[in-house]
Amino acid sequence: MVVLSASEEKELLIDILEIKKDILTMIYKAQSGHPGGSLSCANLIYLLYKKVMKIDSQNPAWKERDYFILSKGHAAPALYAVLSKIGFIDRSELFTLRQLGSTLQGHPIKNEQLGIEVSTGSLGMGLSIGVGCALAAKLDKNNRRIYVVLGDGELNEGSTWEAAMAASHYKLDNLTAIIDRNGIQIDGSTEEVMALEPLAEKWKAFGWNVIEVDGSNLGELFEGFNKSKNIIRKPTVLISYLIKGSDVSFMEHTKKYHGRPPSKQEYTSAISEIDQIIETISVK
Amino acid sequence: MLMNEKLLRDAFGDFLAQNGDHYPELVVLDADLSSSTRTNRFAQRFPRKFFNFGIAEQNMMGAAIGFAISGKMPVVSGFSIFTTGRAWEFIRLICHDNLNVKIITTHGGLVGEDGSTHNALEDLSLMGTLPNISILIPSDIIELKEMLKCALNSNGPFYIRLPRGSFQTIHNPHFKLHMGSPEILKEGKDICLIGIGSGASLASTAAEIIERDRKISIKVINLSTIKPINVPTLISALKNVNKIIIIEEHNTYCGAGSILTRIISEHTPKLIKVLGIEDSFGESGSRVKLLEKYGFTLQNLLIQMNKILDR
Repeated sequence: MVVLSASEEKELLIDILEIKKDILTMIYKAQSGHPGGSLSCANLIYLLYKKVMKIDSQNPAWKERDYFILSKGHAAPALYAVLSKIGFIDRSELFTLRQLGSTLQGHPIKNEQLGIEVSTGSLGMGLSIGVGCALAAKLDKNNRRIYVVLGDGELNEGSTWEAAMAASHYKLDNLTAIIDRNGIQIDGSTEEVMALEPLAEKWKAFGWNVIEVDGSNLGELFEGFNKSKNIIRKPTVLISYLIKGSDVSFMEHTKKYHGRPPSKQEYTSAISEIDQIIETISVK
Repeated sequence: MLMNEKLLRDAFGDFLAQNGDHYPELVVLDADLSSSTRTNRFAQRFPRKFFNFGIAEQNMMGAAIGFAISGKMPVVSGFSIFTTGRAWEFIRLICHDNLNVKIITTHGGLVGEDGSTHNALEDLSLMGTLPNISILIPSDIIELKEMLKCALNSNGPFYIRLPRGSFQTIHNPHFKLHMGSPEILKEGKDICLIGIGSGASLASTAAEIIERDRKISIKVINLSTIKPINVPTLISALKNVNKIIIIEEHNTYCGAGSILTRIISEHTPKLIKVLGIEDSFGESGSRVKLLEKYGFTLQNLLIQMNKILDR
């Protein structure tokens, strides 16, 4: 089993923290956007692009690429910042987020040249799209894998469960769903708004291979992705326990920054918190 | 339903089964209605390219998006109202991303005995409001086959609405479809009947009978493309008439008639009556009796014509 070396992990962690700074800067400059759910899943999106998925960093539209679908489209800043880090989006473009005329709308818009496979934003649609991609790949005998990142809140949508049923019915072992299980949606905790637990059991009952991971631990996430590649005749879901607003203390575990940009003071303090973490990791 | 005519859905199923080889990227999706929509005929010949999603239209349409972004050309079928209604937001995304998905449904308009829950009298307003989509309604089997060829040879989203039953054949076998343009079935100058779907044969038959009995010159147009409409050809086709009746099996409040009325009135003043279902869901009954009750008859068309001609 391939594992991340300590130096690889350190490099990834620093990159992810830089991505988080970009996320905050984009949302701060736009004075609009979703910091909480972007910060929570930035690490897993970057890990996918950097170490898991088959992509060509010179050609986002490479025919043999794996597919990534951000079903929780409101985490667009995380996706854009990752795509910029790997070279698909020009970094200067990042800071045009949500402005008139920008290619970077508030939620992702299909753009093959930027590596965005499909538009997302209305929740509960991504897993069905992933099912279609996985069936098409099987039909073509293409060994492409499909990765779909879902928010936990969007699991309220019935269409997600229709897709869950179909993925297991068609034995889509080329499909991996990753749930950003940060436990918080707009109106409060997922368990208060519309209880999801027992979540792992639900997916198991739908016929999925379920892997629960501490999503803040890159090694565990990486191991989860590798395991999912070896499962046959079943789709895999990684229930990834993450922290809403992670790495910015006052944004963590709260619904407050789900869809609210930081003020100038909050932005400055958030950036300095992340800089401190980078410094601590760098000297280790 | 006309007993001697083939059902349009039979022609649809046969077309897919017979032409599957011509379209290497074609896949067909259905929601547990393949025996009704006749996509089962494709499934029998091309089992690997047919996908049943069960009674789950949203997921079926979402999967169509996935197929399309993977280079496939999905034909998505089901009953008109369930497919366009339940899965509307997925169709919105298909149109938003301008994907190559062909939504071809059966049981459009008044379905008959199944009743109001199964009628599709709102689908054209649901589809018409979406940018990028092409909307086609065949008036007979010959036109349907042309439409299927046109949709499968074009890129982008299409909605084609078939009835449950059959329509009287009004075209000759050499008919060629000109998508977007009105088809003038008969010249005339006092009034123009624009028929959509089943409305086309009703208009043709009515014009013939009424002209024989009365001194009126009636123009008849078959309008089978609801979107995109070639506006100059439509306006030019209506140049010599000032009074129009549009016939459609849809809620008149917000249907093809409303769309056409807006387009026409933006260019030229005409007196227009839309003959359709007036803000109702319909009900159960034989199709013949339903058409009678809701005014799709020669007698009612004559009444409506007299009313509009008197003004």
